[in-house]
Amino acid sequence: MPFELPTRFGTPGLGGCYAPETLLQPLLDLEAAYLSALGDAVFQAELRRELKDFVGRPTPLTPAPRLAQALGLDSLWLKREDLAHTGAHKINNALGQALLARRMGKGEVIAETGAGQHGVATASACARLGLRCTVYMGITDMARQAPNVSRMRFFGAEVVPVESGQGTLKEAVNEALRAWAARCDSAHYILGSALGPHPFPTIVRGFQRVIGEEARAQVLEQSGVLPDLVIACAGGGSNGLGLLLPFLEDPCRLLAVEAGGHGEALGEHAARLFGGEVGVLHGCKTLVLQDAQGWTAETASISAGLDYPALGPELAALALEGRVEVRRASDQEALEGALELCRAEGILPALESSHALAGLRGLAREGVGSVLLGLSGRGDKDLATFQSRLDQSF
Amino acid sequence: MNTTIVPILPFLMSGDPSLEALPDHLAEVASLGIGTVELGVPHSDPIADGPVLQAAAHRAIGRGTTLVKIFDKINTIKNIPDVVLFSYFNPLLRMGAEGLLQHLRESPVKALLVVDLPDSEEPDFEAALREGGYPLVPLLAPTTTGSRVRRLLEARPDPGPGACFARRFAYVVARLGVTGTGGETPLAPVARRVAALQGITGRPLAVGFGLSDPGALEAVRAMGATPVVGSALVQALHEGQGLGTFLRPRIGQ
Ligand SMILES: Cc1ncc(COP(=O)(O)O)c(C=O)c1O
Repeated sequence: MPFELPTRFGTPGLGGCYAPETLLQPLLDLEAAYLSALGDAVFQAELRRELKDFVGRPTPLTPAPRLAQALGLDSLWLKREDLAHTGAHKINNALGQALLARRMGKGEVIAETGAGQHGVATASACARLGLRCTVYMGITDMARQAPNVSRMRFFGAEVVPVESGQGTLKEAVNEALRAWAARCDSAHYILGSALGPHPFPTIVRGFQRVIGEEARAQVLEQSGVLPDLVIACAGGGSNGLGLLLPFLEDPCRLLAVEAGGHGEALGEHAARLFGGEVGVLHGCKTLVLQDAQGWTAETASISAGLDYPALGPELAALALEGRVEVRRASDQEALEGALELCRAEGILPALESSHALAGLRGLAREGVGSVLLGLSGRGDKDLATFQSRLDQSF
Repeated sequence: MNTTIVPILPFLMSGDPSLEALPDHLAEVASLGIGTVELGVPHSDPIADGPVLQAAAHRAIGRGTTLVKIFDKINTIKNIPDVVLFSYFNPLLRMGAEGLLQHLRESPVKALLVVDLPDSEEPDFEAALREGGYPLVPLLAPTTTGSRVRRLLEARPDPGPGACFARRFAYVVARLGVTGTGGETPLAPVARRVAALQGITGRPLAVGFGLSDPGALEAVRAMGATPVVGSALVQALHEGQGLGTFLRPRIGQ
């Protein structure tokens, strides 16, 4: 493939560009635009300025001493992506790619969304830059993340319901890819996670690296030493890679937590390292939950943003190589993790981020002292779920 | 075969309306004098297909259609056109190149069209198939630039006039977007692209995506290319129309 950047990750050679021919030239054009933007001081200055003045970066690194104590840890830091504009890390990528879209002269943006955070972030960035925005969202997710549907519409985006299959993120990506194939001459597709055909995984993690770069500097400034362990939740893997990659060469354990759902059988979870096999979905080769026919399996998670059958190729490669450990947390464990953070620190996390919080359990027993956790988003969008699942415990 | 244009390339979805109906449908295609058929392998996530073929694939999967069952079905038929097996890559990857080749050797399949497999992504897999006698069909989209066209045609070369249409043709994607009949495909730009391609290559061309009415098919033939009819045929069969009833007026019979 005449791409300039490497399209594959790690020794397993995951990633690649398994896209229909119609999208090849748009993907080549996108890579070229990304590379030229990387080398353009004006673009970089505008991105930095918008990340500061619009998104509110750098996001704080908050010590969480009461939660640390409850878990038997010496120290715990929270990287507060929940405080970024629109309430999650998704805005880092949405803004960066919206600037790219404008640079490419595209007046329209297409996006998919699961939890709605990427959709809201994209709708917001498009409003700010004066781009038309269409977001594809599964009907199941529209119901369970209703506040985000309203927010996208307030920002002027058109939200297109996707009815096929389970009505979740996988179907939304299918539909967004189809829409892009039809409108690739005028529209840019802003993929929301480190997924899809090259160059998306590389671009998305490129715009998300800011999380880990800030966090690494902040933790060194606040404590003088690197943490024993860095942990994030993993849907497609964008907040995970963004946080973990800057620590790759450091002597820190790196941990990603997937959705364990409500059972171990195929269809009851979204734990790709646990139950997936290497396959091709949505344009890349990676760990995919699939059946014996090579058809994508159904998934289940209380968290819409983690409810996706494929792990991003770069994170999957790091997991298979053993550099990143991957664990899973069940729906129930995630809810408990959320409640613990609420009670101990007065922060309501997104259900996605709650999986990382659940992953903290037991770390002290493994000899871990200090932990840096990526709090990828805030939980306001999940209030309905929290109310129905947790209200009985009050 | 090489001098006259193949009049039509029908697309059937294996397992829809049913796998049991497939042998009769293939025999009927052959009896209409149509030498080649595109046979779809259903996939869970057909990202290049519109609503009609998505629904057909999901119905086929719901009925228990699998790649092995498709081979079992088509390998028993005598009077059968050449088959171009249309698939997404993952079901093929899952079976593995070796297993796939074993099934292919006993089958009427002559070539494969894998929509989400650009030529450079799986060189070993593709080479194994090609060396086994099963070339992959090159796809040329409206977004494919001139230099890319040349590269793609070289990467998946024409075995020459001695070979059958299935192994020779390049697939010209008529318009942006996915398969399906939603709206008429404007033919003037297609005619210009086909003429330009005919200046680059002597291999047969098939044109598909959004073609269904007899006039449009005739217009493609007038360009010196073979029209592909997919979604409209699959929908007609789903609605209970006869295959011959649908295809005859589309080949001037
Ligand atoms: C708050 C939050 N965290 C995490 C994720 C998971 O995505 P990723 O793994 O790409 O960070 C999402 C996705 O919607 C999200 O909204």
